[in-house]
Amino acid sequence: MARFLSSNALLKAIATLPAARSNRNVIGSFYQNGLRYSTVPSDPDTHDDFRPTNKVQDSAAVSFKDVVEQDVKENPVMIYMKGVPDFPQCGFSSLAVRVLKHYNIPLSARNILEDPELKSAVKAFSHWPTFPQIFIKGEFIGGSDIILNMHQNGELKEKLKDISGSPKPE
Amino acid sequence: MGVTKEQVESSLTSKLKPLHLEVIDTSGGCGASFVIEIVSEQFEGKRLLERHRIVNAALEEEMKQIHALSIKKALTPEQWKQQQEAEKSKSDA
Repeated sequence: MARFLSSNALLKAIATLPAARSNRNVIGSFYQNGLRYSTVPSDPDTHDDFRPTNKVQDSAAVSFKDVVEQDVKENPVMIYMKGVPDFPQCGFSSLAVRVLKHYNIPLSARNILEDPELKSAVKAFSHWPTFPQIFIKGEFIGGSDIILNMHQNGELKEKLKDISGSPKPE
Repeated sequence: MGVTKEQVESSLTSKLKPLHLEVIDTSGGCGASFVIEIVSEQFEGKRLLERHRIVNAALEEEMKQIHALSIKKALTPEQWKQQQEAEKSKSDA
């Protein structure tokens, strides 16, 4: 059950609304490489040949800091949250998504529950201790309290006004 | 072991010298979730993000054990006064 949930959530790990964004494949494949398998390596019934290997993960040693940097650069509205936009797993993340969905903007998200390393990389990047964390046009905005406050006082509308719902021509 | 409301209050009081402080334990007693309202002169001239950063920094030790910290209000004394008056006139009307 846990594995089902996990892989299902991985597929949605970056949910861009509306879809079509060029960096989607990059992020998708990255996530596959980051998959943790639950196979027990010390099982006496297995042979070395069948032991799971994950070459890409070993060799690439992708820096999560780079991933975060790229995320916030390429996605006008980026949210790091618990769960995914359609299925938030925390009230604060849910609130932030609901606020952002008021606006007709492409929303990109990553589920930090999927990966503890990503979680610490995001925290270190923004110097912010909690989730969700929202970035707009590369700028760290804050968490759910701040996004709600900005929604209420009109600042958020102002911030998002030049981000349109349709993908921008490159 | 979680953090107590008193610990949160004393850290914030000693570091931010708040004019008004309200800490609500929303964890149901396990000490992992708090809602805060705080008014401090140290927020003067700072935008909301920076104000939250100040509060987070003041609670650096406690944050290790707190899962959810909601800062409902982080106001300057001036803003606090205005809000109090606005609320008063609303209830009078």
